[in-house]
Amino acid sequence: MYQLKIDDKEIEVPEGTTVLKAARMAGIEIPTLCDHPALEPYGGCRLCMVEIEGARTLQPACTLPVSDKMVIRTQTDKVKDARKFILSMIFSERNHFCPYCQVSGSDCELQNAAYGEGMTHWPIQPNWKPYPVDASHPYFVLDHNRCILCRRCVRACAELVGNFTLGMEERGANTLLVADLGVPLGSSSCISCGVCVQICPTGALIDRWSAYRGQEKDVSSTKTICLGCSIGCGIEVLHRDNNLIKIKGDWDAEINGGVLCDVGRFIPMDEKRNRLVTPMLRKDGALKAATWDEALSVVMENFKPFINKKEHGIAAIASTRLPADVLYYYKQVFEEILGSNMVTSTEEGRYTAVLSEFAEHKGPFESKLSEIHKADTIMTIGLDLTKDHQVAGFFIKRLIPKGTKVIPVSYESSGMDAFTPHSMIIERNEDLAFIQALDAAITGADYSKFAEKSGISSQEITEIANLLDRSKNLVIVYGTDFDAKQKRETVQSLLKLAKKLNAKLISPKGKANSLVAEQLKLNKPFNVNGHKAAYVALGDEDPSQAVIKKLENIPFLVVQASYQSALTAKADVVLPVTTWLEQSGYYITCDGQVQLANKSLQSPVEVKTNKEVVLAIADRLKIIVNPVWDKAVKLENSVVEID
Amino acid sequence: MKSVRSMVLVSSDPISMERGAAQVYENLKTEIETLGLSDEISLTMIGDVGRHDALPFVIVYPEATIYGPVKPENAQHLVEEHLYKGRVVPELQASHKELTGKIAWVNARKGTLPAEQRIVLQRVGVIDPENIEEYIINDGYQALGKVLSEMSPRDVIEEVKASGLRGRGGAGFPTGLKWGFVAGTPAKKKYVICNGDESEPGTFKDRLILEGDPHSIIEAMSIAAYAVGANEGFIYIRGEYLLAQERLKKAIKQAYDYGILGEKIFGSEFNFDIHVHSGAGAYICGEETALIESIEGKRGEPRARPPYPTTHGLWGKPTLVNNVETLANIPAILRNGGKWYRSFGTPSSPGTKVYTILGNVNVTGLIEVPMGITLREVIAIYAKGMKNDVSFKVAQTGGSSGSIIPASLQDTPMDFDSFQNAGVSLGSGALLICDENTCVLDLAKVLQNFFKKESCGKCNPCRIGNERAYQILENISQGTGTMQDLDDLAMISKNMYELSNCGLGQTAGSPIRDILNHYRAEVEAHIKLKVCPSGVCPMSGKRL
Repeated sequence: MYQLKIDDKEIEVPEGTTVLKAARMAGIEIPTLCDHPALEPYGGCRLCMVEIEGARTLQPACTLPVSDKMVIRTQTDKVKDARKFILSMIFSERNHFCPYCQVSGSDCELQNAAYGEGMTHWPIQPNWKPYPVDASHPYFVLDHNRCILCRRCVRACAELVGNFTLGMEERGANTLLVADLGVPLGSSSCISCGVCVQICPTGALIDRWSAYRGQEKDVSSTKTICLGCSIGCGIEVLHRDNNLIKIKGDWDAEINGGVLCDVGRFIPMDEKRNRLVTPMLRKDGALKAATWDEALSVVMENFKPFINKKEHGIAAIASTRLPADVLYYYKQVFEEILGSNMVTSTEEGRYTAVLSEFAEHKGPFESKLSEIHKADTIMTIGLDLTKDHQVAGFFIKRLIPKGTKVIPVSYESSGMDAFTPHSMIIERNEDLAFIQALDAAITGADYSKFAEKSGISSQEITEIANLLDRSKNLVIVYGTDFDAKQKRETVQSLLKLAKKLNAKLISPKGKANSLVAEQLKLNKPFNVNGHKAAYVALGDEDPSQAVIKKLENIPFLVVQASYQSALTAKADVVLPVTTWLEQSGYYITCDGQVQLANKSLQSPVEVKTNKEVVLAIADRLKIIVNPVWDKAVKLENSVVEID
Repeated sequence: MKSVRSMVLVSSDPISMERGAAQVYENLKTEIETLGLSDEISLTMIGDVGRHDALPFVIVYPEATIYGPVKPENAQHLVEEHLYKGRVVPELQASHKELTGKIAWVNARKGTLPAEQRIVLQRVGVIDPENIEEYIINDGYQALGKVLSEMSPRDVIEEVKASGLRGRGGAGFPTGLKWGFVAGTPAKKKYVICNGDESEPGTFKDRLILEGDPHSIIEAMSIAAYAVGANEGFIYIRGEYLLAQERLKKAIKQAYDYGILGEKIFGSEFNFDIHVHSGAGAYICGEETALIESIEGKRGEPRARPPYPTTHGLWGKPTLVNNVETLANIPAILRNGGKWYRSFGTPSSPGTKVYTILGNVNVTGLIEVPMGITLREVIAIYAKGMKNDVSFKVAQTGGSSGSIIPASLQDTPMDFDSFQNAGVSLGSGALLICDENTCVLDLAKVLQNFFKKESCGKCNPCRIGNERAYQILENISQGTGTMQDLDDLAMISKNMYELSNCGLGQTAGSPIRDILNHYRAEVEAHIKLKVCPSGVCPMSGKRL
């Protein structure tokens, strides 16, 4: 521990702390621009300069590590003059005419810093040179005129996402932010995660939806989690007058630390589906608006004859985006009370059923997602993390420059290939052969037959096997996109290989409540065979073509959904429910962390939550459901420890 | 090596090559062979000879006659007259004939000092840089042999400390101390880097050393590596120095062939490998941390310090970065001892310094003189006075991050401490000497223009400060300046020094500071009278 004195305040901080962090610990605010807690210190903007006793010049607080008995002054005239100089310089560099800027008011860190120093005008003539605006990206706009070249976006793109799209072109006064080698953002290697937009301190990067719709001080914010997939990223939902303004990654969230992908940040903003706002009944062949009472009565009337009729009864399917408690109630109502033999989820156990077979007798064998951060070697197989569960992909990509070896195994080239020299493109459906080849290579057996089958040269197999074998912290991130006939065997041999290599296994599974659906055994393939009625609890998910097709000839169809779809168009009863933002509920991430999703928006008046609808049906059946969902989820052995 | 009666040297710096030096060499060779003189006359291509007024040069030893500019068609006449008949050809001799015999390298060859003291440039222009044997004959690799067989790493560092050698890159940091820091940082892997990214305008001393005596750098780096415990080295050479890169690569290959690089050097346990890394045209990569970033394959931007490269350098490993000229001193120091080295120069700045002289003087080029010589002496003795006898007004040292030296400081000894006390800096050793027809505002504008283009753009004070300062200077030179501009300039210069991230940013504002300190009246004349006293500035433009 080091003893310091900051502005006559004595404080003790651990070795290696920067002056900036030490000052914050002491409750002393030092203005910064290029610094961001999620990024490595950079020392570019020079706004945080402080006086250090004994130093020749002012020193940057953000990069300077403290030393024992250091005496730091942050409020002297010299320091204040320096801040004013830096700000005057920045204001003189490009167009910082605040009134026209979307972040002017409270969101602009540059403006805030200037107000903080009591500045009322620019002491030095501004530069009148116009800079280009890049509006080629579908989700956000880059205005070079507002850019202060702090490189927060560049560093976020590299350090947090590992994508290295953004960079700097030229040098000196001609320095310019560019995507790739100077192409428009819209045609660059950008993967639209939007972390750059979130981290930009000025109005240089603004997204198309939230721009000019209110400062952060004018809008309300709700911390919740993203339901885009099973990673469970923490988000902040900004809303104003019940309108969704923006979705931001939650910097404080333990899982993602502020990083989001396009599925979490931008796709929900681009919602184009038509909302269902009232219950509807099919009358004379057409769907007509009805009251909840009418609608539920019709449902009950049509269900009653088929209660406990098993394969001639009621088929039910629910979205894995529904909260855990709702899924449990749904299971109770349809399986136990209505006696259906076909109660499942929209995922139909695709990503999980095989795994839990092994968990049944092995117990949990998967590790926490955070193991990725510690890995020195990572292999991914049976999934593409640049398409789904992208944030997990970011975690992996950003480790590559730090020396982590990444081996993505896929059938065709994926977005990961550009970042790692070890990508393996194997023959379609030959994952098993590939794993067997690795296994044999590690044990020292003959693997040429397997290698040939998998389409990878023996030499490469040896190289990869050596990489895996030498690794001290090996993580295998796997999915189940394997050949259907060999799925079980492939997973089995993967588990065997992992055990041999002492590797940590992680599977990101499917949608937000994939693991819950599996634990509640809502994992059967959905087969409608002689069923007389069907109940589809879609929530805000889109129905798959397969499900629509299977339900084509069902005599009576009830759809519980937020949006109009091909399925609601066929339904006999439509029950409108809330979207993910309009309800609260529990979710369990792919690695077993229980999280609460909070309600951020009010739903339309006639719309009920998914929970209310399922409970209303239970009520009509005059039963009381068991509310202890978490016990039910933990009843069976799961693939990963559930908190 | 055979003994010869005459040695013929052909200059092969880029300018000479452009003007057909290769053809001159070929023709001379043919002529010498035709006359059957091959056994008694050696013909060698040498690097930059330090003088640039009549290239390409052909120099004939032992008479030390300089011919230039020599055209390929002159070869036959020259060989027949001088080498065969023994008659000097006056019409081909270089201009300033009266100076012949007093030029730096000629003295070095003849040993007729006091004019110049050569340690660093000892062999430059004298030996064939592409021949390792010539280097070895001229005391080459003696120091390395001594170090590896007789001295411990600690002894080496003590010897360097005893010599008082200070870094020649501009900052003047004691070299022995730096070596000690790297040696004192425990690590399995360490690196030695030779900084040959000489980009200061007007400076070309490093190029001359690299082109003319590449083995001295290999020897010095090996000694440094042994002393600090490194086993891998990089020579970072400016991208434009193609000849230097080529020569170094050849020299490295020869050194490997002779067992001077590689494993178990001279039968010791010491292993050392050297790589040549080419710069890509950025001035800032001469800054040591930017240079390290560049070798790592990143954008050349200086890092935040601390940590210093001595503990966290290339790929995070302790790294010793030394300038070419600094390293070139090392073999001589180890051969002759630190005490010997201290017999040159001043007590606080021992040794010699290589200067490149340019500007409005009679003789431009490169000299190596003991530290502590004055500017007046340089102009009078080595530059042979001002051109056309226009009086001396101002000099600019050390390329752009040096200082503007007014005439009033021309009697200040040129060493690190005397200059520092006078508020100026020695910089990298360029001496741009300007006469009374120079406008200081214009000079500052030229320098500021260079900086605004060459700032890496990382930190605000330097990136924007240089741009703003240039804009203000431009306005003043156009006749639209105000007195407020002078306060702004002073403020920008002061804050750039205080707030910038690296040495470049800190010193980039010094031309402004210097002209305001020494030539304020002249600058004010531009503003108040709308007149450029030297008649250089345009003064007619209008602010847009």
